[in-house]
Amino acid sequence: MSGQRGNWFTRHWQLIPGSAWMILFLIAPLIMMIYVSFWTQTSFDIKPDLTTKSWQTFFSQPVYYSALWNTIRVWLIVLVGTFVLGVPVAIFIGLFVRSNTVQTILLVLAVIPFWTSFLVRIVAWKPMLGQNGALNIILMKAHIISEPLSFLLYTEVGMIIGMIQIYLVFVVGPVTFMLSRIDPNVIEAARDLGAGTGRIFKDILLPLSRPGLVTGAIFVSVLVLGEFATPASLSGRKVNLLGNVIVTQVGSLKWAFASVAGVVLTVVIALVIVGLLRITDLRKEV
Amino acid sequence: MYKSPILKWILGVYYGLFLLFLYGPFIVMGILSFQPQNGGPQFPMRGFSIYWYEQLLGIIGTSRAAPLPVGPALVRSLILAFMVMVTSTVLGTITAQAFRHRFKHTGFMFYLVMLGFIVPGVLVGLGVALVSNQLHIDKHWWLTGYIVHVIYTFPFSFLVMLAIFNRFDRSVEEASASLGAGAATTFRKITFPLVFPGILTSLLIAFTLSYDEFPRSIFAGGPQLTLPLTIYGQFGIEIHPNLFAFGVLSTLFSFALLAVFAILIAISVKRRARGRGIQEEIR
Repeated sequence: MSGQRGNWFTRHWQLIPGSAWMILFLIAPLIMMIYVSFWTQTSFDIKPDLTTKSWQTFFSQPVYYSALWNTIRVWLIVLVGTFVLGVPVAIFIGLFVRSNTVQTILLVLAVIPFWTSFLVRIVAWKPMLGQNGALNIILMKAHIISEPLSFLLYTEVGMIIGMIQIYLVFVVGPVTFMLSRIDPNVIEAARDLGAGTGRIFKDILLPLSRPGLVTGAIFVSVLVLGEFATPASLSGRKVNLLGNVIVTQVGSLKWAFASVAGVVLTVVIALVIVGLLRITDLRKEV
Repeated sequence: MYKSPILKWILGVYYGLFLLFLYGPFIVMGILSFQPQNGGPQFPMRGFSIYWYEQLLGIIGTSRAAPLPVGPALVRSLILAFMVMVTSTVLGTITAQAFRHRFKHTGFMFYLVMLGFIVPGVLVGLGVALVSNQLHIDKHWWLTGYIVHVIYTFPFSFLVMLAIFNRFDRSVEEASASLGAGAATTFRKITFPLVFPGILTSLLIAFTLSYDEFPRSIFAGGPQLTLPLTIYGQFGIEIHPNLFAFGVLSTLFSFALLAVFAILIAISVKRRARGRGIQEEIR
């Protein structure tokens, strides 16, 4: 028995550093967060006396539970937006461009903004969207509008525009990658055998690009659900997501209350990820 | 479907618009960063100067805008990114090595690592802050900040190294050993050159992600701010074109990093093409 265990150790010790880091520094703190969400919060301190008071407050006050609905609404809008805008780009690069070199160049151009600072990307939207912003100037010069649009900055619209632009990359990248690997001869053969465009899409393109679609959806979902910087900046603090609730509560040292919002966010993310992984097990794709 | 020329044209034009949407804000930011002293963070341009770059770099002492406190934060961020990229690549390589043997619960281990980027940064930061409060451990960028950064970059390093090892022909290592090369020689001459592009990619990704990280650092990073936290601090107050100048410089820095990476990869590929004579060297 001990010999076997020694054997296990020499063969699998490499699992230990990575799993230790994740369990000690990620899993344990998340369990701590669940525990603290039941602590008693006074105005200056928290005590480890268990209570459900913070939970009751969260689900009884509209300020807080509306953050939950805001988070889910914004997540759905941005997810649909990035797919509607991103998938045609992926189809163009992956299926219509035949030269490998051109394909690579077009894909690199589409994903390069990923390498730039996230906060810079948010800031860059301010001079675009404002009352005197570039977008209004262009639209007025083109005589499409006569008055500057005021709903672009410090509104939910501005925040959504910013988020879609920032997170588009995560749909375009993986989906293009999967589409470009499809052998054109397969599509050709299907067509020769009499399959229509709809059939080709449903039976060839969709299944073969599914891992890319799921990867993209996971990236966008995880990033949008945990957002707080873009709403704080581009919505002018008008839209409150769960992330904003957590930041505000920690700012006023309401750790128990922040933990409640944290646990709620964890549950939402877990449901979304488990749902997406039911479509494709990414483990098999690496 | 992909043969229809009309559809191809429509999608081509759409791709152009997509690039405009993607790059438009950067272009506008770039132009506005060259506002003169009396220019604001929006159009119209009141001239053209490098005033705000000089202000950002501290060449001009007094200005109506407070200087961006980026200097010490930049140093901290660079040191931190360096620590994180090394740790993350070592952890990622070791863990991916483990996946070359079969073991039970592969799926569990895989998703345990993936949790590092699946769990939103704000939650990771909150959890680590709660634990460090409870244990009375002070939060520092080089301690708790470093820990949460590695949680974030480790999954990416792991995926890169896993992809490398999956395409790696085990028999070349065995061949090297059976031809009489020692473990050290095999590693130096065979294993390392084969995994080198992966290691380089992992280093680059971990460095870039850490350098730009802020939702985790906001709670776990301690009182001394990293560069992104300094920029985040500007969000609540009136912005000046010096923030745009910073944006331009930081974008150029990211691209320079990418260029260095591309050159190193090109050199390693060329060396491998040349190094078909590895057999002779071992002999």
